[in-house]
Amino acid sequence: MTKTPDDPRLELLQGTLDMLVLRTLQWGPRHGHGIGQAIRRQSEELLRVETGSLYPALHRLVKRGWLKSEWGVSETNQRAKFYRLTPAGRTQLIREQDRWSQLVRAIGRIMNPAPANEE
Amino acid sequence: MRPDDRDLEDEIRSALEMSIQERIERGEDPESARRAALEEFGSIAAARDAMHRVWYSRWFDAILMFFQEVRIGLRSLLRTRGLAITVVVTLALGIGANAAIFSVVRSVLLRPLVNRDADRLLYIRQTARGIGTEDLTFSMPEIGDLESRVKSISAFGDFSTVDFTLIAFGREPRVVTAGVVNGSYFEVMGLRPALGRLINSSDDGPNAAPVAVLTHRFWTTALHSDPAVVGKVIRLGPGNATVVGVLEPSVPYPAETEIIANVVTSPHHLGATMQKERWHRMTELFGRLAPGATLEGARAELKAVHASMVHAHPESYSPGARVGLDVKTLRDQLASPARTILLLLLAAAAVVFVIACSNVANLILGRSVRRESELAVRAALGASRGALRRTLLAESLVLCVAGAALGLLLARPLVAVAARYAARFSVRALEARVDGSVLWLGAGLAVAAAVLLAYVPRLPSFDQSSAPNPAAGGIRITPGTNRRLRIFATTQIACSFLLLVGAGMLVATLNAMSTANTGYDMRQVLAVDVPPPASGAGGEAADKFFQEATRRIGALPGVDGVASGMVVPWRDPFSAILKFQFGFEGYQPANGEENPACMFRPVSPRFFAVLGVPIVAGRDFTDHDRPDAEPVAIVSQSVAQRLFPKGEAVDRHLWLDSRTGLEPQPRRIVGVVADADDENVVQVPTMTVYFPWRQLGEPSRLFVRAASDPYALVPAVTRILHDISADQAVERPATLEDVRTQVLTPQRLNAFVFSAFGGIALLIAVVGVAGVLAFSVGARTREFGIRLAVGCEPRQLRARVLGEGAAIAAAGILVGGLGGIALAWVASRLFGVAQMPGVLPIAGAAVLLAAAAILASLLPAVRASRVDVLQALRSE
Repeated sequence: MTKTPDDPRLELLQGTLDMLVLRTLQWGPRHGHGIGQAIRRQSEELLRVETGSLYPALHRLVKRGWLKSEWGVSETNQRAKFYRLTPAGRTQLIREQDRWSQLVRAIGRIMNPAPANEE
Repeated sequence: MRPDDRDLEDEIRSALEMSIQERIERGEDPESARRAALEEFGSIAAARDAMHRVWYSRWFDAILMFFQEVRIGLRSLLRTRGLAITVVVTLALGIGANAAIFSVVRSVLLRPLVNRDADRLLYIRQTARGIGTEDLTFSMPEIGDLESRVKSISAFGDFSTVDFTLIAFGREPRVVTAGVVNGSYFEVMGLRPALGRLINSSDDGPNAAPVAVLTHRFWTTALHSDPAVVGKVIRLGPGNATVVGVLEPSVPYPAETEIIANVVTSPHHLGATMQKERWHRMTELFGRLAPGATLEGARAELKAVHASMVHAHPESYSPGARVGLDVKTLRDQLASPARTILLLLLAAAAVVFVIACSNVANLILGRSVRRESELAVRAALGASRGALRRTLLAESLVLCVAGAALGLLLARPLVAVAARYAARFSVRALEARVDGSVLWLGAGLAVAAAVLLAYVPRLPSFDQSSAPNPAAGGIRITPGTNRRLRIFATTQIACSFLLLVGAGMLVATLNAMSTANTGYDMRQVLAVDVPPPASGAGGEAADKFFQEATRRIGALPGVDGVASGMVVPWRDPFSAILKFQFGFEGYQPANGEENPACMFRPVSPRFFAVLGVPIVAGRDFTDHDRPDAEPVAIVSQSVAQRLFPKGEAVDRHLWLDSRTGLEPQPRRIVGVVADADDENVVQVPTMTVYFPWRQLGEPSRLFVRAASDPYALVPAVTRILHDISADQAVERPATLEDVRTQVLTPQRLNAFVFSAFGGIALLIAVVGVAGVLAFSVGARTREFGIRLAVGCEPRQLRARVLGEGAAIAAAGILVGGLGGIALAWVASRLFGVAQMPGVLPIAGAAVLLAAAAILASLLPAVRASRVDVLQALRSE
């Protein structure tokens, strides 16, 4: 799907998709479609994940051992593949969250330097 | 664990379903919900591929794809089983022949010797180009001179052979040739014992204990690898010797012997003649390069020392003989006689491979034309050029790998045959085995052939306007395909022509050799080796033995005559050594020239009558030419004509040149006999001087002239000889004719092997030409139909197709001829050999090929003329 210049949606930062996926699974298993919807909803429609990158990312996380997948039945009674965090995935989520907050702090200091002289 | 593609697609589909469901629930109508969901999702295929790539690498996919192609190829080949089998067998012949020849080449020319540091192991020999000898052994005084003065050789090893009667290991007494070596020989050769110890410096000198080492082959074959042999005492000639060890498996050079003993075992080696006489040359010399020395340095030093030695002993080295010295590594010495023949064989095998590939290419090309519509359909369905090529490659790979596998199976028996054959040129060939490197060669050839074959067929054109109509279903043969078919057929003819000419050359040489006049009456003469008995009896005893044997065998029914001498023609390797310089009464060598060297042959009375050599003038030796009678001699016609041009040879005198060290008294020439060459299978004018052996020499060979079958006399002759002397060895009875046949075996084998190659080539080429024409006729059914319809005679059509076959043959022969000239030129530049074939082999090969090509085109020609007009015209 192509984006037009006036589209208000944001481009995902490189490497953050994995973290967002792990985060949405924090409270229990979801299927792929649900994960996409959750990211969209929680970002108040600002982040929209392309399915073309979401599904490969899910498989990448499974391959690394952070997620586990199994077929199940959705709330609307449809067959769907569900993903859930593994213990290793949970640890990874914590690690990524740490890294993320460090990154945000660092970028924030550069973009909004404190007005006072803090040597 | 890894999800397969179906699982991935299921997941995508379920995601899409959910998305659609959601939209419907939000109130969109189903049709637009579906469209919107699909649009939102993007490319399903791309998503699936991206997911797939997470789990499977590109390599995995490529290999998987290829296996699939191979499976398809296998299935499609099973449908055309006849073609597949032809291709596989043809390739197997080509690859098998190459693998076998390569194995032999590798073991002879490329593989290292077992000898430690074989690169530093030198073979040294003297040459005497003035008397036409490239290979002269050494005498002990000469070896002593070199040993004491050459510094770049750390040690010399010497090896000579002597015949012993061996009584050991609970077997019959028999005469064996044993090696006699000095104490440093095994150290110089860099060989280790397989058991016990080898002969070392403590075994040198006349006071050492007599010891012997067994060769590995003798130990394993005759003694069944009995480890208890070490320490056994054996009777070796006049004395006893203790077996101290077994030699590791090694190249049997300079001579294949069963036993190698120290010097003290041989009275001859301890005698004054061996130790003191400079002319008594019977010893092979090896040297090991000193640390830091190079082959070039050692060669220069050896040559310098040798030259000064020759200078210091003018009485022993006549300037006319030009005695010199030559050094090379043992490895080169072993490989050199076989190099040319092996490279020729390798070339022949390569040519056979080219022919096989051309033929297979033709078959594949024909098949691919037939399936052009299939390829066109696949192209129309979106298969890329690469994909089509990959299909073809997979198919040809299946064929070639099968061919290679079969070829390597064939290689094993072929190697055995080729090794036995090549062993006549180099003993190293016996080590030849099929091993890993041959597998690599086979695999390499198979891949080369596969790639070639995959690129032979033309892919369907991607230009829509000229693409063949898939629906038409008929065969259309394009000019390009036709040209390729003809080029391959021409290549086959050209290569076959080369091989056939080569084979023809060898057959012509063999034929000339076997029918050449030898000067002997060969069929009725039985030759028997009667080596000097174990007691070392000579003189009186030998005289009595041979008198008695001659008398009693001569009295046997069916015997026309008995004689004795020292040399069985062509069989005795030392015959060339019995060549001395003679002085002749009334003959003065021109300034700076030498007295002529003549073959020296001690014989008994009636020798000439028994062997069928006519007496031209004077008389034969008689029983009256005793040691105490007047010294006499008989000369060959070449001697008489060259030295006594006025025909005055009889009653003139000759004498052995004083430098030979033999008695120099003048002898009266009592007769002249026709030339007889006992050294070369093709007779050359030979200067020979015959002495009665009762006056000089000692006989060891018996000749019996039989009235009927000579071999029928063997038991009676053996019985009589054993009756006279119980432990007398009686060996190798054979007619002169069979001796000569034996000697010609290498030539016979050369001719046979190349003829076999030529025959295979011819067969493949005939199949190739027939295939091309059959295909071309099949594809032109319509054309022939039209021709017949407009009144063309069937005879004309036949002639036309035959003409096409003849044209291919003519072009092939022309190309082959040009290629042959180019090859001969290259060979003469590289190896200095430029033997051009005679007219007969060339003409013969050309006629044979042309006849074969026309024969091959007969069937297609007949088919062309029998085309059913209506059928042909209806076919499209």
